[in-house]
Amino acid sequence: MEKSLFRYIWTHSKRDQLFICFVVLLSQPFYFISLDLPRRIVNEAIQGEAFKDGNATAPFLQIHIDWPQWLGGGSLHLFDGFQVGRVGLLLGLSSLFLFFVVVNNGFKYWINLAKGVLGERMLRRMRFELFAMVLRFTPEALRTVKSSETATIIKDEVEPIGGFIGDAFITPVLLGMQALTALVFIMVQNVWLGLMALGVIAVQFTIIPKLRRELLRLGKQRQLASRELAGRIGEVLDGIEVVHVHNAYAWERAEIGGRLFGLFSIRLKIYNRKFAVKFLNNFLSQVTPFLFYAIGGYFALRGTLDIGQLVAVINAYRELPPPLKELIDWDQQRLDVQVKYDQVTQHFAEERLGPMIESQEEIEDEPLAGPLVAEGLSISGPHGDMIIEDASFSLELPTNVAMISPGSPAASIMARVLARRVPNFGGRICIGDRELVRLPPAVVGRRVAYAGVDPILFPGSIRDNLIYGLRFRPMGQTEEDRREMAQRIAEAARTGNPFESISDCWIDYERVGLKDEQDLDRVLVTLLERVEMGEAIYLFGLAGQIDPERHTALAERVVEARRRLQENFRSNGMADLVEPFDMGRYNEQATVAENLLFGVPISDEFMGRNLADNPLFRSAIHRAGLTDKLTRMGLEIAETMTEIFQGLPPGHSLFAQFSFIGAEELPEFQAILRRQSRNGHNLKRDERTRLLSLPLAYVEAKHRLGLLDDELRQQVVEARSLIRETLEKADATGVEFYDPERICMAAPLRDNLLFGRVNYQVADARHRVAEAVAAVVRELDLLEDVARIGLDHEVGAAGRLLSPQERASVNLVRCLVKRPDILIIDGALAPFDEERAHRILQALLDHLEQQSLFMVLSNDRQADAFDVQMRFSDGRIVTEKAADPQRRAKTPAMEPAPSVAGEVA
Amino acid sequence: MTLETEVQSLRQVPMFRDVDPARLKLLAFTSERVQFAAGQRFFSQGDPSDAAYVLLDGRASVLLNTPTGDIQVAQLSGNALVGEMGILSDTPRSATIMAAEPTTALRIDKRVFLELLAQFPQMSLAVMRELAQRLERTNAQLVAQSS
Repeated sequence: MEKSLFRYIWTHSKRDQLFICFVVLLSQPFYFISLDLPRRIVNEAIQGEAFKDGNATAPFLQIHIDWPQWLGGGSLHLFDGFQVGRVGLLLGLSSLFLFFVVVNNGFKYWINLAKGVLGERMLRRMRFELFAMVLRFTPEALRTVKSSETATIIKDEVEPIGGFIGDAFITPVLLGMQALTALVFIMVQNVWLGLMALGVIAVQFTIIPKLRRELLRLGKQRQLASRELAGRIGEVLDGIEVVHVHNAYAWERAEIGGRLFGLFSIRLKIYNRKFAVKFLNNFLSQVTPFLFYAIGGYFALRGTLDIGQLVAVINAYRELPPPLKELIDWDQQRLDVQVKYDQVTQHFAEERLGPMIESQEEIEDEPLAGPLVAEGLSISGPHGDMIIEDASFSLELPTNVAMISPGSPAASIMARVLARRVPNFGGRICIGDRELVRLPPAVVGRRVAYAGVDPILFPGSIRDNLIYGLRFRPMGQTEEDRREMAQRIAEAARTGNPFESISDCWIDYERVGLKDEQDLDRVLVTLLERVEMGEAIYLFGLAGQIDPERHTALAERVVEARRRLQENFRSNGMADLVEPFDMGRYNEQATVAENLLFGVPISDEFMGRNLADNPLFRSAIHRAGLTDKLTRMGLEIAETMTEIFQGLPPGHSLFAQFSFIGAEELPEFQAILRRQSRNGHNLKRDERTRLLSLPLAYVEAKHRLGLLDDELRQQVVEARSLIRETLEKADATGVEFYDPERICMAAPLRDNLLFGRVNYQVADARHRVAEAVAAVVRELDLLEDVARIGLDHEVGAAGRLLSPQERASVNLVRCLVKRPDILIIDGALAPFDEERAHRILQALLDHLEQQSLFMVLSNDRQADAFDVQMRFSDGRIVTEKAADPQRRAKTPAMEPAPSVAGEVA
Repeated sequence: MTLETEVQSLRQVPMFRDVDPARLKLLAFTSERVQFAAGQRFFSQGDPSDAAYVLLDGRASVLLNTPTGDIQVAQLSGNALVGEMGILSDTPRSATIMAAEPTTALRIDKRVFLELLAQFPQMSLAVMRELAQRLERTNAQLVAQSS
């Protein structure tokens, strides 16, 4: 980026700046006219000065220019105007005034808009350039760059710069011109007084910036300190576990408290200085009139100065301070912003950045095949020690290589060199006739895959993460609103942003040998199964929701599967395992709320306790005559809960797991119970609501408080249609109702298959039901469709919603789906136990027949399965080709897909 | 059958005889009532111990795994507590329990049980007392056998 902010602004926005400047100048005459009009309305029309010579009419819209005295006087008549009467003149001038008000505000509107847009565009450009530089940070720089600091730079620190850009050139031009006009006017009246004013201005413009230098230093400090504060908060949050484990709360609190004090002290110094400077500034601008009065008055008394001239000068001087003051403020802002800009550019200093990443030009995309030859390799470790010294080897690709270096990082570093993660090493590595370091990044990105210890996942679905490596460039436009697209691209062009849109299709299916999205999903699922994630993805699928538009095939068959499952339950004597939803029967295994709604809430107002507060629901159960009964039930539940949970300390895990009432609410419910027993049924409305909310979560089979009798059950069942009617009449869409013949999109897939609730009271029911579900899914050949829904499962921030093994599996599949020529695995199997790691390794070796696999191993135990063993010791590399890799013999026949069952809720 | 009847059953168990009724209610409430079909196993010998059971209704056989097959060593019925030793000593199941007829039991989860013991000393004392009495009985039997 440019060193100077002004050069940067000028380079990227001179056309806009000049144009806005031009419009500002254009607007000035209109502005002055509108200032002058009120005077004319009062003087000429109302007080009648225009008619004072007995004229019955006066000219309106007369245009003539009076030349000032020093240009020889006289006037130029352009238009003599219309002759109008007094009322006519009043109305005419007033309308003219209104017209100019509109014109001025129009100008103002346009100028503000243009300045805002200009600032925002520049901000966008700057942010994007900074982000592009983030992608270029060298590995060395990344060791010291903090992510949260960088984020706050791009988000917050450049924000005021953007606000300033619109004013960068226009304000000084405009204000400078105003000040200059006033000054010239004073000069014309009296050169000496003019020079005096000029002298004071000169003092203002030399002393004040000097005094402000300290302010700038403080500003710099403050910016760095607040950036570090953001960085520290980010660090604490990232490492929150360590804080919890070591009980470092007090330390961290004191740390941040100290930083906040530092910020405060800097701010205090800034304020002291800033307002002192302001004081001086105000003083200096008031000193000039003092000089005018004192010295000018003295000359007037002595008779060397005309009194009229003195008054004119003093009047003119009134016009001078406001623009001057604003100009000085602008200067302050300029310095402020310049400091910020300098700080930002320092963070992104050239030496911290790697080479430019060239845009996607077409590159020769030949497979990385042929001999891999390394000559005179020397690699030094982080402490300057030589890890590999003058080593050479050669391999014929494709092959698979075990890289073994017990107790030393040599193999891992070599793996990173091959993956082009380490740019600095001595010697040469060639693949075929191409040198590794000279391969364009795009080729390496496509042809080499590296799976390290740390599987980095981005928030999004599992699928998003798996196909991350396939998104090289947009393949074709999806249907996008043409006008919107034109606007998006035009804006991108004006701000140096990329034209590509992420809503396009970014996957080159052909290159990875696939037809379409479905095909890709199929491959993803197969690969996940190979790396031991088949069951997890199936379970995620059961817990996921069906989108009939995307999963058409499955959506059509869910009802069929549901029926088949129920038949299977009946024919296998398992009918008591699941109690199906039945419009005419109370479901003992479901909550009272679910029994009443007979559906799944979609919006928050129908979920959990909110339901008790929902007016529609309340009116419906009231009409069903249930309000009192449910409230009484709530009383009984509250009584039981306060009885049995008394004595448990608040925050005890049993509360969260079992109680209807949170520990913190217990005293409130006790108070309600006491009041109720004292004054009978006089409960307040919100108390009734709270009581009503309790039985909503009650499941007779699970909680066994014996609160439901057949009459109440019948009433609940009858209330269902009443509730549905009420909601439908009010057009409330917060609940999706159950229908045995249709899928319920709001419910997870497994609920849709079961269409009922698992019996709490049958031993081992969950497990048996899960097996039955899995059997039906397999029978109807829906396994893949279920897994496809599983691909939609969210991985959470940094993949935290997945287990370490699942994260590792996703990391591996993300590499495999690219079909790399060379796959390098460096610790990616670490989260798995030895047996599973071995199974995955075998699966990988089988899968990568035509491709090369380099895998870092810490010992010899699995080395036999590889074609080549590459050993590292004392800086040397020895490769041995196994005469007969044992894996073929050892490989068991490809196992059928692992059986899937898991728990079904 | 409701929580109340389960509390009655729990009170019949020697280990819980002296425990406060409110605590027994909590124990019952945090447990699950499960039904076993005839022949269905509560657990098998060698399984990890994850719960204790109180028989509410029905009968269950205690089976030991021997080289010649499972042999029945005892039969359990109403209000018997089974599997508590495993969750207290954190050892695998020492025998198999199988329902001899359709049987209903209260399943007391290991984690919940241990938390209740940690929370309420009175319950821990009751358990200790019961274990001490069993030890005493065993000693007496040993003395009787050796003499």
